[in-house]
Amino acid sequence: MSEKAVEIVNFVKKFGDFVAVDNISLTIYTSEIFGLLGPNGSGKTTTLLTIATVYKPTSGDIRVYGYSVLSDGNKVRNLVGIAFQEPKALGIDKPYDLLLWHAKVVGYSSTEAKSVVKEVMDDLGLWEHRNKYFYQLSGGTRKKIEIAKILIQKPKVAIFDEPTAQVDVISKHYLWDKIRELKNEGSTIIVATNDMFEAERICERLAIIYKGKLKAVGTVKELKDSVPLGDVVELDLTAHVDSKILDILNQFGRVSASGNKVLIYVNRGEEVAVNIIDSLRRVGVKVVRIMVKEPTLDDVFFYLTGAKLKEEV
Amino acid sequence: MQKISDDLRAIVLLVQWDLTKIVRRVIFVAMRAVWFAVQVVVFGQVLAQMVNAKVIGLDASTYYNFYIFGIYTSILFTITASRAYDIAEEFEEGIIEYQLSLPIKRKVLAFGRAIGSGIASTLFTLPMFVTVLILAKEADPLAIAISIISALVFSIAISGLVLSITLSIKSSDATDILMGVLDAILVRLSTVFYPAVVLKNIAPYYYGALMNPLSHVADILRILYSFEDFKAIVISHPLAMASYVLGLFMGFTFLAMYIIEKKIEGGGWK
Repeated sequence: MSEKAVEIVNFVKKFGDFVAVDNISLTIYTSEIFGLLGPNGSGKTTTLLTIATVYKPTSGDIRVYGYSVLSDGNKVRNLVGIAFQEPKALGIDKPYDLLLWHAKVVGYSSTEAKSVVKEVMDDLGLWEHRNKYFYQLSGGTRKKIEIAKILIQKPKVAIFDEPTAQVDVISKHYLWDKIRELKNEGSTIIVATNDMFEAERICERLAIIYKGKLKAVGTVKELKDSVPLGDVVELDLTAHVDSKILDILNQFGRVSASGNKVLIYVNRGEEVAVNIIDSLRRVGVKVVRIMVKEPTLDDVFFYLTGAKLKEEV
Repeated sequence: MQKISDDLRAIVLLVQWDLTKIVRRVIFVAMRAVWFAVQVVVFGQVLAQMVNAKVIGLDASTYYNFYIFGIYTSILFTITASRAYDIAEEFEEGIIEYQLSLPIKRKVLAFGRAIGSGIASTLFTLPMFVTVLILAKEADPLAIAISIISALVFSIAISGLVLSITLSIKSSDATDILMGVLDAILVRLSTVFYPAVVLKNIAPYYYGALMNPLSHVADILRILYSFEDFKAIVISHPLAMASYVLGLFMGFTFLAMYIIEKKIEGGGWK
């Protein structure tokens, strides 16, 4: 395994009596894209803001490349950059001035700053908006400016809090590419999102957080495999399902049959599907159509958190 | 050395931040400038005719000069204190959280913002200061330079105080009320309008004025303008007044540095 980039140790954050994050421990490794997945108010942003030293832990600690946010805040801030969930600017700010100032603060010389800001603004399609006031910009454009800060900064640990909220679908895919590029250039990426599709598309490992508690950590595949009988094998058979066929299918998982159509809920669906076909062939039943469906991250989330669809989250 | 130059660079950039945001204050400052113009052109003139300044050894025109330096001090304080509203707005818009996340030492962040805020406020009042100089027929370059430096040091000190208060109480409403009360009390409980020799007759007011930075700044400006006219009526010895203002500058700036480094975190704005 790679070097530890961020180590969260028994991290608790309270606001008054409200526990926003409840004793989370996890490790994020160098040059991975790590996702914090959870609904609004689950503690993702609080965790990210504490990594960025904006909040202080109530107890526990977070270490970035070995530096504690409690005792080595200055060193941590030199390693971390954060694109906030809500773009941070005043209405009277102009994107170019804002990004130029940011570039200088993160260490570029004046000449370098002008060059890198132009390059990133061009890249994100922001150049034409450079002299508009912030209040004149759309939500998506504002969000891109927030992302641009991190693409300019290229920090060792780049944090994106819901990076594509309010962004159109074309830009969304482009921003994901830019985040991957940043990772390939050596940054460790932490993305907070409540968008399961986004999490699945860009994150190599995920932590599911719910009501301030860590529910699971793993790759997307590991998380999906953690759902018992989460895969669904759909079959169309040449014959109606009778008791004999049912006995065979019941060996593989929970079966739901109607006419010649069968749904079997199993683990590791792709491996099991082959065995199902073999077993049916041995009793003379042919499979006309077969499809294996993995559980979605939505299914994983609901399974791991126990949340209900109508629940206020 | 690299670290020091990084810190200096950050301070310059933070000052630049405040100066580039100066435009958002134009309407507020224009309103204060109109108030200032009325005070010096109408109110001050009439007051100078009404006040029997001879009891303190001044003639009417000298009292007028006494008054306009006081008025300048009060406007400088009001405009600097009103930075609290900018900081409140910045907290509400998340700018403070953004700045807390930047690779800048917290002490440097506090110091840079206090200096930036002080410079911005002093710059805003510069046209009013020039007006005062014209009305007072002051042209001594050394006196002018020291006056501006005194005003700047005072303004940075007040900025440090304002930063500490606003970021600690984290409430727009409380900031509004507190700053309004502070402004009302400090301007009146000082030698901005009345000489220290008069205040001596009312002991609580006098001791209040003696502690009040506005008294010291207003009297420093007066002494710089005309030592002979004002030496007998100012609140303290010029060196003592200068030391007091310098002490406040250091005290309030360190307070802001301490609070931002040790106490402040994002969120929780009411």
